[in-house]
Amino acid sequence: MNEQALSQQSGRNRKSRARPVSGRAGRIVGRTLMWLFLLATAILTLFPLMMTLSGSLKTGAEMMTGGSLLPAKLQFGNYGEAWKQANFARYTWNSAFVSIMVTAGTLLVASMAAYVVDRRDFPGKSLYVAVQASMMFISVGAIVLRPQFDLMVALHLNTTLWGVILILISAHSSTFFMLQGFFKAIPRELDEAAMVDGSGFIRTFFRIILPLLTPGLGVAGLFAFRHAWNEYILPLVFTMTNPQLQTLTVGLANLRYGSSAAMQIHLMMAGACMSILPMLLAYIVANKTFIQVTAGSVKG
Amino acid sequence: MSFKWKRLGENSLFLLPSIILTAALGIYPLLWMLRYMFYDYAGYGEALFVGLDNFSRLMRDGLFWESVGNTFVFAGGKLLLTLPLSLLLAVILNGKLRGGKLLRGIYFMPTVISTAVISVVFYTIFNSYNGMVNSLLMKLHLVSQPIDWLGPKHAMLTVILVAVWGAVGNYMLLFLAGLQSIPQDLYESAAIDGANAGRRFLHITLPMLAPVAQMVMMLAIIASLKGYESIMVITEGGPIGKTEVMYLYLYKLLFPVSTGSPVAQQIGYGSAVGFASAVIVGAITGLYFFLSRKMNKVY
Amino acid sequence: MRKKWLGLSLSLMLAAGIAGCGGNDSSDKSSTTNGKSDGSVAAPSADKGQPVQLKYWTDDRHDQEYIKELINKFNDTNGDNIQVELTVMSENYTQSVDIAFSSNQAPDVLRLKSANTSEFVKKGYLTPIDGYLTNDMKTKFGSLLIDNVNRFEGKVYSLANTGLTMRLVYNKDIFAKAGIENPPVSLQEMVDDAKKITEVGKSEGIYGFALNFKNPKQAFDRSIREILSLSGYQGLGFDMKTGQFDFAPYSQVIEYFKQMHKDGSILPGAETLDIDPLRAQFAAGKIGMYLSFSTEPGVYKDQFPTDIKWAGTLAPTLDGQIKGTSEIVSAGTWLGISAKSMHQEAAWKFMQYMYGDDVLKTYHEKGFGIAIVPSILEQAKNPEIGGMEGFLVGEHDSLWPASPNVTPEGSNYADAFFKYMIAGGDSKTITADLNARYNAALSKAVEKGEITVTPNPGFDSSKPQDK
Repeated sequence: MNEQALSQQSGRNRKSRARPVSGRAGRIVGRTLMWLFLLATAILTLFPLMMTLSGSLKTGAEMMTGGSLLPAKLQFGNYGEAWKQANFARYTWNSAFVSIMVTAGTLLVASMAAYVVDRRDFPGKSLYVAVQASMMFISVGAIVLRPQFDLMVALHLNTTLWGVILILISAHSSTFFMLQGFFKAIPRELDEAAMVDGSGFIRTFFRIILPLLTPGLGVAGLFAFRHAWNEYILPLVFTMTNPQLQTLTVGLANLRYGSSAAMQIHLMMAGACMSILPMLLAYIVANKTFIQVTAGSVKG
Repeated sequence: MSFKWKRLGENSLFLLPSIILTAALGIYPLLWMLRYMFYDYAGYGEALFVGLDNFSRLMRDGLFWESVGNTFVFAGGKLLLTLPLSLLLAVILNGKLRGGKLLRGIYFMPTVISTAVISVVFYTIFNSYNGMVNSLLMKLHLVSQPIDWLGPKHAMLTVILVAVWGAVGNYMLLFLAGLQSIPQDLYESAAIDGANAGRRFLHITLPMLAPVAQMVMMLAIIASLKGYESIMVITEGGPIGKTEVMYLYLYKLLFPVSTGSPVAQQIGYGSAVGFASAVIVGAITGLYFFLSRKMNKVY
Repeated sequence: MRKKWLGLSLSLMLAAGIAGCGGNDSSDKSSTTNGKSDGSVAAPSADKGQPVQLKYWTDDRHDQEYIKELINKFNDTNGDNIQVELTVMSENYTQSVDIAFSSNQAPDVLRLKSANTSEFVKKGYLTPIDGYLTNDMKTKFGSLLIDNVNRFEGKVYSLANTGLTMRLVYNKDIFAKAGIENPPVSLQEMVDDAKKITEVGKSEGIYGFALNFKNPKQAFDRSIREILSLSGYQGLGFDMKTGQFDFAPYSQVIEYFKQMHKDGSILPGAETLDIDPLRAQFAAGKIGMYLSFSTEPGVYKDQFPTDIKWAGTLAPTLDGQIKGTSEIVSAGTWLGISAKSMHQEAAWKFMQYMYGDDVLKTYHEKGFGIAIVPSILEQAKNPEIGGMEGFLVGEHDSLWPASPNVTPEGSNYADAFFKYMIAGGDSKTITADLNARYNAALSKAVEKGEITVTPNPGFDSSKPQDK
C-alpha cells in the first residue's frame, strides 16, 4: 500500500513537470500510435477475409498457382457453381435448422434449470451445480463421440439431425451459469407479487420472468447460435453416412475435394463468403445491445 | 401436502430436461470412457479386458508426451498474444472513439466464421511456394527468401497466429463487457484528482476488472488447451509432429486421418488418452484457480 | 429500445425454430428414400410394384459420371425391378462404412479397395460370393483370385477389375533444360538429377523433386513402395520370406530422399503439401519429378490441363538393376456385397452387370483404371488419355501377395522415416525400433486370430504370384 502511494506520488510529480514541455505533442504522438495500432490490427483481421473474397472470384488454376492478390477476371460464376455443387440450399437449411433448434433448446433447458436453482432450494442442489460446473471444465475430447453416437443409434436418432441437436443442447452448462447471473439481477419480489396475484409457478416463469430475461437470453442465444453454426467435428462424424444431412461447415470443408478429386478451393471460398452472411446478419441485429448486456453474463 | 408435492413437481419439470440431457450425453460418455480405458477395443467385435496396459503404454508413448508439450507451447503462445492484445483493444474501444463501433465489428468478425473453413484459407495464404504472405513480404523487400511458414521450424508459430486471429475478437468482447460494468463515477472522481490515463488504468480499471478477467482468462486457458480444429485442417499435426496437440492426437486415434489405408480405431487406448488429457487440463485449470484466487477479491 | 430489438430477434428465432421443426420432418423422409443429394443419383422409374432398392457406396470420384450412366442404364433395363442408388462418399470412406455398419445403415453393394477389404471381411461386413459365381466368371477371374486380397479362408468376396500402376512422373521440358537425357533408373541418379534441375531452375522457382509430405504415409506409399518392389523388396516393409517386418531395405531408400532434402532439391513447403497443390505446381512446370499412381494422366487431362511435356516411366531402383517387379496396387477387388443386405440376390445381379465385359472394357478404354483381367486386356484398346502410355501394364508389372495390415504402438513407419529425413537421427536405431514395434503388433494380431501369416522362404520377387 505504501509503495503504491509512493509511486502515485512520484507519478504525479513527474507528470506535472513534464506537462508544460511536451504535453500536447505527447498526446498527438500517443493518439497517432493508438490509431496506427488499431488500423494495423484491423487490416490484419480483415486480410484473410479479403483473401477469401478475392479467392472466391478467381479460377481454380489461379488459386492453385497462387501469387496474385486480385483475380485476373472476376469469376462470379463460382458462386453459382458452389451453390449447386455444395448443395448449398440443403446445407444451409440443415445448418439453420440445427442452429435454431440448438439455440431455442439450450435457452429453454438452461433458463428453466437456472430459474429453479436461483429461486428455490431442493435436495441435491449443490450437487447439481457442481456437476454443471465440472461439465464446463472436464474435456476428454473426441472420445465421447462414440458413446454419444451409440446412444443415438439406440434411440434411432442417428439418421436425423436430432442427434446432433440433442448433443449440442446437452452442453448447456455455460449458458446455465450465464443465465443464473441474469436471474440474480431480477428482484424476487416480482415473482412473489405475481404469485400473490394467483399466477402459478410455470406461468410466472414464462409470462413474467422470462420476458425480463430477454437481454440475457439474447447474448446467450447468440453464443449458442454461433457455436452450433460453426460446429464442425460433431456433424462431420454424425453425417458421414448421410451426405444429405451435412451442415454448411462440413459441406464446405468437403468442397475442397470436388466431384473429380481435385481441390476446388475457389468454390470453397465462394461458399465461405456466402456462409458468413447469416452469422453477420445475426451479429448486426444483436450488436446494438450486445456489448452492454454481456457485462452481467461474464460476472455471473 | 399437496403444496409440497406441487413444488417438487414444478422443480422436476424445470430441472429434468437439463438433468436428463447432462446425464445421458455428458456423464454417460464419461463413464463409458472410464470403463473402456481398461480394455483393448477396436470399435467392433469383442472388447478385451487388459487392466492397466493402456496406461503403461501411455507412459512410454513418446508421441503423446510430445503432443502434451506441443499443447503447452500452443496454448501458451496463443494466450500470451491473445490476452494482452484483446485487453488493449477493449480498453481503447471502451473510450469514446470515432469509428469505435465499426472497429469493434471488424475485430469481432473472425469469430463468426467457421474455424474449419477459414483454416483452409490460411493454408493457402501461408503456403511457402505460392502463399500470399510470402509474396507480400518479398514485394515489400522484408525478406529475400520465401519463409517456410508451414515447415518444421515455423509451423507452430503459424498455427498459433491463426488461433490468435480467431480468438482476439471474442476475448476483446468479453473484456469490453467487463469494462462497461465499471461505474463511470470512479473515473470521473479520479480525473478530478488529476490522475492520467495510465494511472486510471492501473488503479481503477485493472482492479475493477479483475473478477471478470479471472473468468475470461479461465475460459481462454481451457479453450486454448482444447482447440485443435484449425491445426487439423492446416497441418494435420505435421510436419514431423511439430504441431500435434493432445486432443488432435486423440482424435487421430479414433478417426485416423489417413485416407488411403485403413488404420484400426483404438478406442481402448483412446479412452486412456482422453482420461489423461482431461486430468492434465483439470490440473492446469485447478492450478490457475488457486493462483488467481486473489483476483476475485475486489476491493 | 434495445430490449425491443432483442425480443424481436429472439421471437423470430423461436418462430423459425418451430416452423423448422415441422418442415424438416417431411423433407428428411423424402431425402432418405430418394436421396437426391450431392453425388447421389436416383432415377426411380419403377411404376410396377415395389422396386428393390439397392444402395451402392463408393469413394471413387474420378469415374463418377460413367458409373452414374451405367447405373441409370441398369435401373432402366433390368427385368427384376431393381433400383440402384449411388452415393459417392468423400474422404473418411472407411470410417463412414464403419459407422454405417454399426448403425444399421449399411449399403448393399460396396466399393472395395485391396487396402480395406481384409479389414471389412474381418469385421464381418461382407458376404462371400462363391455361391453366385458362374463357371464363365470362374474362368474369367480365376487367375486373379488371391488369398488375403479377394479370397479369405477359401471364400471369395470380390473380383478384380483394374489396378493402379505406379511410376515416376517427370517433366520432359525441365529435364531437357537441365541437360538430362533420360529419366533416372537408380536412386543415385534421381538424387543427382534433382540437384541438377534445382541448380538450373531455382531462380525461376523450379525444383527437382516433390512429394505430398503433408501425410508422409500417403507420400511414401506412392513412391518408396514402388521403388522397393521394383528393387526386389516388398514395398510396405514386410519380408515375404520370413513373414516378419524388416524395414532395413526401406531405410536404404530413405537415405536418398534425405540426401535430396539436404541438397535443397525438394520443393520448399513440401512438408505440408497435399497431392492436389503438388499436381497444380507440376502442371505449372515448377517440379522436375515425383512418383505417383496411374491416376495422374486423367488428372492432367481434366483438373489441371497443362502445356508441359511430361511422361510416366518405371520408378528408379536402389542400384539401377530391376530385381523385382513393380507392384500393381489397389488391384484384385472392385465390388462386394454387404453381409447385412436384405437383397443379396439383387445385389449380385447388379454386380454381375457391372462385371460385364463391355463395362470393364470401356472402363479401361476411358482410362479410369488399368485393366488387369486377361480376357479384357485382350479385347480392349489402349486408353485414349495422353500420358497413359507410360503407365500401362508391362513386363515389369505384377500383383503381389497381400502384406498384413497392423497398427503398431507409436508412430508408423512413414512418420518415423520422414522425421529422420527432415530432422536426422540414427537410421539403425529407427529401423530396429520400427521392426520391434511392427513385429510386436503383428504377433499380437496373430495371437488374437485376426491375421494369419505364412512365411514363404522360396518367395521370388521377380515372380511374386508363384507359390
